[in-house]
Amino acid sequence: MSEDRPLSIPVILGTTRKGRMSAHAARFVAGELARRPGVVTELIDIAALPLPVDDAGEGVKDPGFSEKMNHADGLVIVSPEYNHSFPGLLKHVLDSCLKEYIHKPAGIVGVSAGPFGGARGIQNFLPVLRELGLVAIFWDVNFGTVSKVFDENGKLLDQAYVRRVGKFLDELIWMAKTLRHGREHIALE
Amino acid sequence: MAREKMICQECNMELNHHAEKLIYPSTPQEVRRMDPTLGGLIEETHTCPGCGKGEARRL
Repeated sequence: MSEDRPLSIPVILGTTRKGRMSAHAARFVAGELARRPGVVTELIDIAALPLPVDDAGEGVKDPGFSEKMNHADGLVIVSPEYNHSFPGLLKHVLDSCLKEYIHKPAGIVGVSAGPFGGARGIQNFLPVLRELGLVAIFWDVNFGTVSKVFDENGKLLDQAYVRRVGKFLDELIWMAKTLRHGREHIALE
Repeated sequence: MAREKMICQECNMELNHHAEKLIYPSTPQEVRRMDPTLGGLIEETHTCPGCGKGEARRL
């Protein structure tokens, strides 16, 4: 039964920019998630997805990404803030699926070179998640001034993020368990 | 609501119908099929209690 299956919570690295510091944040969060019992995760790098840009929406659906989203019980989305918003190519990727997301929780990890940790991008992201059928959790992680949080090799320099990510994952995992029970056992009236 | 049940193609279990989402029509065929009261098409989402796989169908 569903309780016997581990929760699948992939981490989406939502930028293709060269030299992206978000990759360090994504690897760190995926590592913390992998330590949780009963959870399986993987890092999905949008730069590695073969999505064309001459069409959009479900017209560019990648079968591999679709299958991973269908199998997922929740998502971590790591998004840098570009010009006060999230990356356009991240939305292009997310827009390629819909039914795969319904009634699944999503937690956002914001990353920025400046001090606000992607807070403005996250606020702009929330209505998109809602329309995709995802359920945004109320914890975020904000990696502000990210060049001081990780060194150039991705080593964590600020240990406060261990606890911050821990609280974020506690909530995401609770929501993933609860919503999976709902998807599988509670019928729409 | 009471339509034909969906069956999981992987484990043959009856899927749980847990969501209906309004989809705005994007093709002439969908425009013809849209529910004028709601202003779009309904896409049902169903999930297998055995393997967790999701399926959808548009009405």
